Amino acid sequence: MTQLAEHETVEVSPELEHKAEREKARRGFFTALPSFLYLIFFFAIPLLVVFVFSFASRSRTGRPLLEDWNLDSWSNILDPLVAGIAWRSLWLAVINTALCLLIGYPFAYWIATRRRVATRNLLLVLVLIPFWSNFLVRTYAWRTLLDADGLITRFGEATGLWGQLLFTIPAVFIGLLYGYLPFMVLPLYAAIERIDWSLVEAARDLYASGSDAFRRVTLPLSRPGIVAGSILVFIPSLGAYVTPDILGGARATLLGNYIVSQFGAARNWPFGAALSSTILAVMLIATIYYFRSGARTL
Amino acid sequence: MSTLAAVELSQVTKRFGEEVTAVEAIDLEVGDGEFFSLLGPSGCGKTTTLRMIAGLEFPTEGSIRIFGEEMGIRPPNKRPVNTVFQSYALFPHMTVFDNVAFGLQMSGVDGAEIDRRVNEAIDLVQLGGMATRSPKQLSGGQQQRVALARALVNRPKVLLLDEPLGALDLKLRQAMQLELKDIQQEVGISFVYVTHDQQEALTMSDRIGVMSLGKLLQVGTPEEIYESPATRFVADFIGETNFIDGEVVAPGEVRIASGDTVRARTHSPPGSKVTLALRPEKLQIHASADGIPADRCRLKGRIHRRIYYGDVHYYEVEVGPSLIDVMVGNRPGLQIWSEGTEVVIDFHPEAAEALTE
Repeated sequence: MTQLAEHETVEVSPELEHKAEREKARRGFFTALPSFLYLIFFFAIPLLVVFVFSFASRSRTGRPLLEDWNLDSWSNILDPLVAGIAWRSLWLAVINTALCLLIGYPFAYWIATRRRVATRNLLLVLVLIPFWSNFLVRTYAWRTLLDADGLITRFGEATGLWGQLLFTIPAVFIGLLYGYLPFMVLPLYAAIERIDWSLVEAARDLYASGSDAFRRVTLPLSRPGIVAGSILVFIPSLGAYVTPDILGGARATLLGNYIVSQFGAARNWPFGAALSSTILAVMLIATIYYFRSGARTL
Repeated sequence: MSTLAAVELSQVTKRFGEEVTAVEAIDLEVGDGEFFSLLGPSGCGKTTTLRMIAGLEFPTEGSIRIFGEEMGIRPPNKRPVNTVFQSYALFPHMTVFDNVAFGLQMSGVDGAEIDRRVNEAIDLVQLGGMATRSPKQLSGGQQQRVALARALVNRPKVLLLDEPLGALDLKLRQAMQLELKDIQQEVGISFVYVTHDQQEALTMSDRIGVMSLGKLLQVGTPEEIYESPATRFVADFIGETNFIDGEVVAPGEVRIASGDTVRARTHSPPGSKVTLALRPEKLQIHASADGIPADRCRLKGRIHRRIYYGDVHYYEVEVGPSLIDVMVGNRPGLQIWSEGTEVVIDFHPEAAEALTE
C-alpha cells in the first residue's frame, strides 16, 4: 500500500507534469486560433502592406509602382508642412485628452459614488447611449447645431458670446470632446468604483482634509483609470479624421485628414504609407512608456 | 490623569433613514487611560458607535465629548482621536514608513521630527527594518502592527480600534491581545476597542460595555459582566450558560421546572418569574447527595450525553424537563460518568443568578 503510493508519486511528478503543461498550452492555442488568424489576415498583413508601400515609387500619374524601391517618402517625413500638421494634431490631442479628463473625472467620480447599484448602472447606460447611433450621423448632427442658423450659433449670437463655430478649431474640440468623453469616463468609473473607501476614511482620520484625502489617496488610487482613459482618448484624437473633416473644414487639417488626402487627391500612396507607419510607431512607443510609468506606481 | 472622562456619550442615537436605528440612546463614559471594550454580535451598533466617536458618522441625537470638548459635527481630521480600522486600511500605494508618517505630514510636523517619531512607532510595534516595504509584502499580523503604529504615532488622546484582530488566526490573535494590552499600558492613553469576541474583551479590558440591537445593556469590569450578567442576553453572549425557567417562591429561593426548589441570587419578590443562569463550570457531578455540604444546592438528574473536548468533558444532564450542561476539567483520575447514570448536580447558591429580563 505505502509502496504503491511512493511508486505513484515518483511517476507523476516531472515528465507527466510537463506533458500536461504542453497539453494545456496546445488547448489554449486552439481556442485563440480564430482571433489569431483574423488578426493576422486583417490587421498584421494589411499593416505590412502599408509598410511595404512606403518604399514604393510612383508613376507620373501618381499610381504606386511596386518597383524601384526607395526611401524618398521617408525622407519627406520631416517636411515643415508635415511637422506643422503633426504639431497641431499633437496639441489638439493633448488638450482634448486633458479636457476629457477634467470633465470626465468628476462625472465618473459622481457615478461611482452613488450608493445604489441600480443608479450607477442606469448612469452608465446613459453614458453609452450615444454609441447606439452612428458616429458619422452624430457628427453631422453637430454640424447642424454649429452651422450659421444652428441652435448653438444663434444662442451665441444672441448672447454676444460667440459667432458661427462650424469650420473652426473650437468646433473640432467640441466634436472630439463629445466623441471621446465616454472612453474616458468608463475606465475612470471602473477604477474609482474599485477604491476601498475605508482608505479615504483612514486618511480623514489621520488629519487629512477632504481635499488632502482626495489628492493623497483617491487620485493616486484611480491612476489605472486615468492611464487607460487617457490612452483611449489620446490615440484616436491624434488620428482623428471624421470630426476635423466634417466640423473643422479646410482650416483645421490634422494628421488623419492629411494622410487621407495622400491616398486620395494628392495620389501619393508611398508618402501616406510612410506617415501612417511613423504615427503607429510613435504611438506604440508612447503607449508602452505610459503604461510602464503608470504601472510602477499602481 | 485627568478627572474628565476621555470619552463621554450622552443619549447618543444614530438612525439611518426612517426605519433603521443603529444606536439608541447610549450613555457611556470612558475614563482616561482606560481600556474599554464595546462587545456585541455583528449589527449591534458597536462599530457605528466607534465611528461616531471618530467623526466618520455623526449622531442623529445626543452629544459626544472628548475630554470635555463637545464634538458635534466636527470632521474626523479635527478630532484628537485615531482609528485602527478593521481591514487595517493601509494605503497600498505607500511604503510602511509613508503610511505611518501620513498623519504627521497632514498635521504639518517638520521632517526631522517625522523621521524620529515614525521610526520610534515602527520600533514600538516591532517592525524595525520593514519601513521601506509595501503593505502588500507584509503578513496579516505585520499589517495590523503598521495600522497600530500609524494611529499611535500621532499621540491621540484616545485610540479607537475596530475589531483589529478579527482577520488574524487564533494563535496570533492571542499573542496580539497581550501585546496590545502591553502597548496600551506603555502609551497610557484610553483605548476604545470594538469586538464581537467575548474572550478577547474579557482578557484585555478594564471595563466592557455589552451591546445588542443598538442598546448598551450592561457596563462593568470583566468579572462583573461574567459573574453577574444583568440580562439573559449578556449571560448568553459571554461564556456558556444554562438557562432554567423558574419562579421565586420565597426570598432567595426559586422553584424550577423540575419541581426542585433551589437557593439563588435574587432580589425579586415571591411570585416573580425568573430565569436562572448557571455557568457549566460552576456545577459539579456526584454519585449521590452524600457528602455534599449543606450550604450547596443540589439537583437530581441523569447523564444524557458526554462530549469529550480534550481539555474538558461536557455532560448534558437531564433534570426534569431541562438539559443542564456541566463542564468538568480534564485531570488524571477523573471519574467518567457513563450515559444513563443517575447523578446529583450541586452548586453554590452564589453561582445561580436569577435574571428577570
